[in-house]
Amino acid sequence: MINKLMQLGLAAAIALGGASFATTAAAQDCTTKIGAVLPTSVDWGKPIAATAQYAVDLANEAGGVAGCQVEMVLRDTQVDPKVGVDAAKALVDLDGVQVLLGAVSSGVSMPILTSVTVPAGVLQMSCCSSSTAFTGLAEEGKTGGLFYRTFATSGVQAAVGAMVARDQGYNSVAILYKNDDWGQDIGSLVAKDFEALGIEVTSSVAINDGQPSYRAEVTEALQGNPEAIYMAIYPKEGISVVREWISLGGTQNMIVANALKSDEFRDNVGMQYLGNMIGTDTASPRTDSAAAFVDQYTARFDGPPNGPGLANSYDATMITLLAMEAAGEGATGADIAAKIAMVTDPEGTPVSADAAGFAAAKEILAGGGTVQYQGATGNVRFDANGDVSAPAVTWGFSDAGIEELSYISLEDVDAFMASVK
Amino acid sequence: MIGLISYLVFFTTIAAILSIAVLGLNLHWGNTGLFNGGVVAFFGAGAYGTLILGGTPQSGHLGGYELPYLIALTGGMVIAGFMAWAVGILTLRLRHDYLAIATFGVAVAFENLMRNATGLAGGATGIRGFERPLRSALGDGFTYNVLFLIFVLILLAATYLFLERLIRSPFGRMLRAIREDEVAAQSLGKSPSRVRLTAFITGSVIMGLAGGLYGTFYAFISPQDVLPILTFQIWAMLIVGGAGNNKGAIMGAFLIWAAWTASGWALSRFAPLDVQLYTGSIQFVLIGSVIVGMLLWRPQGLFPEKLVVSQAARPK
Repeated sequence: MINKLMQLGLAAAIALGGASFATTAAAQDCTTKIGAVLPTSVDWGKPIAATAQYAVDLANEAGGVAGCQVEMVLRDTQVDPKVGVDAAKALVDLDGVQVLLGAVSSGVSMPILTSVTVPAGVLQMSCCSSSTAFTGLAEEGKTGGLFYRTFATSGVQAAVGAMVARDQGYNSVAILYKNDDWGQDIGSLVAKDFEALGIEVTSSVAINDGQPSYRAEVTEALQGNPEAIYMAIYPKEGISVVREWISLGGTQNMIVANALKSDEFRDNVGMQYLGNMIGTDTASPRTDSAAAFVDQYTARFDGPPNGPGLANSYDATMITLLAMEAAGEGATGADIAAKIAMVTDPEGTPVSADAAGFAAAKEILAGGGTVQYQGATGNVRFDANGDVSAPAVTWGFSDAGIEELSYISLEDVDAFMASVK
Repeated sequence: MIGLISYLVFFTTIAAILSIAVLGLNLHWGNTGLFNGGVVAFFGAGAYGTLILGGTPQSGHLGGYELPYLIALTGGMVIAGFMAWAVGILTLRLRHDYLAIATFGVAVAFENLMRNATGLAGGATGIRGFERPLRSALGDGFTYNVLFLIFVLILLAATYLFLERLIRSPFGRMLRAIREDEVAAQSLGKSPSRVRLTAFITGSVIMGLAGGLYGTFYAFISPQDVLPILTFQIWAMLIVGGAGNNKGAIMGAFLIWAAWTASGWALSRFAPLDVQLYTGSIQFVLIGSVIVGMLLWRPQGLFPEKLVVSQAARPK
């Protein structure tokens, strides 16, 4: 009975699909909806959503995807898992989207994945969720190959942080990490890497958000007289922490993760204390397409892409759209997910991350070829778990702003990570 | 069409789960006058308890006992009850706003404990890897969601009937007596502290049930699910629905959750493109206005409490 119903449904779907194909081929004015669940009610969430929309606009400029214009339906998660999951479910069920961009917080992305996108067979592409829990879920085979993210797992930054400590010759390091999934992940990963390199970790201290003072935490980190300090915290807390750290006589040898890459942090702490600070980041690789993204973005939004996750959001959207193009019309989420390898193929024809590159990619895909998307975060390549590795940079503050110190290519990062495993 | 039904099933499931939590709060506040500002702690205890007891083994933290689902769910409720017992003994001597502040503190402490105690509950990453009951037999799709909804609705109905009986029983009259005038009740030989503790634990166990169902439905729980905003949402549902009325509590849960989700949907659909990025903020303003308006013009809620002296005197 059920079989019969399914057959009937399948027949109807095929008929409908055929019908819609016929009309679109004639009219060329159809729209395909894609869903986005992003925290637009939070200040740093808005630019991430605006960047995703910008990528969609560029694809539309290049003639859309699979013969249709793309409409991105954006829903707010309010950083509340319930709200995010409901929004995702509404997008999947009511708007019938086959791909979903989002979410940012791992605590929102995860329930969306387990209760909405995997059961419905919808592709979920997150720009910014960094939790290692997704890797674990993928290894257990519970993501069904439907989850991808363009945000390098915290492993990359942790490894580069440890590499910096080794190169600087520090023998003991104290770790301060933001007390959320990102911070806990990176804090424990970097501690492992330090130990693998024979660097002593004198203490590992959690920094909670929004405290008026961090004297207790800083005092704890000072014990054991570390030669350097590693920080994976956000600017607001970072400012108070570093001020108290220095006022209590802590070392100025600092290694920080990308979250502190902000002018606000530099200005509020004071340049004279930050001369020995070295930051790590995964974005901005040495490709023309990355530079092109910065130029494009600057022209479009009257300022460079300085917020967190912008390049990742752009690449997440672009790769999704390219995969939709490759999968053709009426493709399901699983079909589209299967095509992601085809648009991020290291052997494929390189295409740039703009409207012209998109148009070029469309032609190559139409001819049966594969492309290598060279994006805002470099040549994105997913591993079997949908995770990306990324090239890394180290950076520091100067009077002029943020300056890059060195560039570590993807190969070097991968080799180093393998060596500390 | 299938999509709409599928979404409605999903929506109703969440709203029904939240209704159960609101019913628990109604026993606390509506019937006993206990200002519980830490709903989320008991909700969370149920959710964490269920997932720890019923989940698959995960490295790095407690759990993965893979108990049969109903035992895990009951276990979650028992954990919520135990927590309520401990919290109750410590705080129930407090009245009104003092109790609210103390329980709010408990909720914040609970969230921080879950966030930091990586060995206990996975820390900020949360607990994943829970196999939803009967999933292998029923698959992941629409059928499963419908059956789960029926399961939740049965539990909602059971909770509702239980509470209706409870408040019509002599015990229920005693609750109201204590709520209205504690000294008078004491002078009649009742023990307000015991009765209050019993009511507090009972309501918290109901919240734990809601939490357990919530964790089951998402197959995931993290500290982000137990932020104070949930306490606020559940309170808003009770206030709009009508404190002291179980029907009101359920209606309030459905209405507020519908308003919360429908406003997001409507804004994403009808708001002009450049306003789209601000829909989140607009939504907060809209929902805040509804609650303020409700408090100004109909503070007793949509379904006010029906005061009856005894069952015999109930209006026919």
